[in-house]
Amino acid sequence: MTTQVTTDDAADAPVVYEETESLLDRVPRAVSITVLGLLGLGIWQAAVSLELISRILLPGPAETFGEIVESAAGIVARDHVFDALWITTQEVILGFIAAAALGFGLGVVVGETKFGQRAVMPYLVGFNALPKVAFAPVFVAWLGFGINSKIMMALFIAFFPVIVDTAAGLASADRDTVMLFRAMGASRWQTLRKLKLPAALPFIFAGLKTAAVFSVVGAVVGEYLGGGKGLGELVRLSAQQLRIDRVFALIFYLSLLGLALFAVIGWIERKIVFWHRADPTDVASA
Amino acid sequence: MASHQTGERPGAGEPVRSPPSGSAVLEVKNLSKTYARNQVHALDRINLTIRDGQFASIIGPSGCGKSTLLKIMAGLFPPSAGQVLLTGTPVQGPRPDIGMMFQQATLLPWRTSLDNVLLPIEIRHGSRAAQSRRGLAGELLSLVGLSGFEKAYPGELSGGMAQRVAICRMLVTEPSVLLLDEPFGALDELTRERMNEELQRICTERSATAFMVTHSIAEAVFLADVLFVMSSRPGRISEVIEIDLPRPRDFSVTTEPDFGKIVHHVRQQLDLGAQL
Ligand SMILES: Nc1ncnc2c1ncn2[C@@H]1O[C@H](COP(=O)(O)OP(=O)(O)OP(=O)(O)O)[C@@H](O)[C@H]1O
Ligand SMILES: [Mg+2]
Repeated sequence: MTTQVTTDDAADAPVVYEETESLLDRVPRAVSITVLGLLGLGIWQAAVSLELISRILLPGPAETFGEIVESAAGIVARDHVFDALWITTQEVILGFIAAAALGFGLGVVVGETKFGQRAVMPYLVGFNALPKVAFAPVFVAWLGFGINSKIMMALFIAFFPVIVDTAAGLASADRDTVMLFRAMGASRWQTLRKLKLPAALPFIFAGLKTAAVFSVVGAVVGEYLGGGKGLGELVRLSAQQLRIDRVFALIFYLSLLGLALFAVIGWIERKIVFWHRADPTDVASA
Repeated sequence: MASHQTGERPGAGEPVRSPPSGSAVLEVKNLSKTYARNQVHALDRINLTIRDGQFASIIGPSGCGKSTLLKIMAGLFPPSAGQVLLTGTPVQGPRPDIGMMFQQATLLPWRTSLDNVLLPIEIRHGSRAAQSRRGLAGELLSLVGLSGFEKAYPGELSGGMAQRVAICRMLVTEPSVLLLDEPFGALDELTRERMNEELQRICTERSATAFMVTHSIAEAVFLADVLFVMSSRPGRISEVIEIDLPRPRDFSVTTEPDFGKIVHHVRQQLDLGAQL
């Protein structure tokens, strides 16, 4: 018995399969990143050179870069930008840590207990719907113009995603494995510690990354609305003086702060959650 | 092959007896289960007895209540009526003398093979006890052909290898009763046959009593001393078949006429159940 598997005309020609990846996807990563970046800068420079927007309102890439370098020199020399950066860094990190701790704790309560799920979660959801920024003056009234009101703002804005992700992570443990733990006579605490928490880690880290970005937002918004001596205040003053180039430079340092926090969390995640598949949004490992 | 029809008076009356080969290890008596949430009548007056050292298989259409039965037998949740006796005492919760296995290997991906095998000991007796049994766990792994993979993580194992680690984890506490819910259902045919032979060897060596849910008629017949056929809605045992093919069996037995006859019979029973 024979089976005909080839069509006549294709029978003796070797079949070569075309690489299906598109041309764009075959460009090396370094090249595509550089080209895309240069393209962006080019459009920016063109908009400025053609005077589409007034130079005062939109400084060009070169001026902005110059300002970034100048501020860098100042930061190294520990000038007032350094002081502001340090203050904002403290606010962001302390706010983040508080948000992570509170979010994780509430997340475990919501994810592990019926009470948390039924009674606590509805309040949290309602809370999350509040326009949180509107509370900034309240925090200033309570905690003053110093860093405490900004830490509170960062915490306030950043903790909710950690709750949701922690609770979802705890629920993500495989059902049969939970059954198996029960069959092995595991206590609730053992099931939590040896199964549910490790299984939740990828989710928790996703929540922490969101919280990192949100705590920068929280601290800066706190500074815009509540004064103080951080970078946000410097940004506000520079904008008032129409020093948009300086605003851009300061925003650049703010985003470096957020990126650094993000990167540290990602690094810790890769060390701890070594078994988890690569995350497509993880820029560092692409 | 001896078979008892119970279809005429489903589940009622006397428990169906297998020939007296040992004392009853697992007894299910008039067990019913209705899921309160959706009023599904999953099990209806199930009676069965599994004797010491016996290998029992249960086969039936999807959704007929096999997993429910197995989980109740493991003490994972209570029946609506009736009871399960394990070596004479009622099962009222998880019992340390039961080992379980599921369709997925359910290994913890953050633990090495060896630490996965040691998990039940760690849970019952703590980390120190687990550490002191590393040697035993290593021996179990080499018994199933996994020496050299003690430090491998589940993500680095094939499906069959992971399932073998799960077997070791089930055996490490030396349970006298094994409850298996389609343990090899996710494996390819060849691996599955090898695992069946391995399971048979392990059960014979340890004279363990086993109860296995499967969807494969060949697997059920190959492994079992006694085979329960279930019908669904509500889940009942429609037939009990004694299988006295000589042991140890290897997979060449599947080509023999006796084996074929039993398989054919079981298939008829299942088709019959499907028509009802
Ligand atoms: N937790 C549950 N809550 C409500 N109903 C359930 C639950 N688990 C199972 N059931 C119902 O009980 C019946 C039996 O389910 P079970 O899982 O025991 O079937 P099964 O024989 O193991 O099926 P399969 O061969 O597909 O694994 C099904 O109709 C199912 O819908
Ligand atoms: Mg099932």
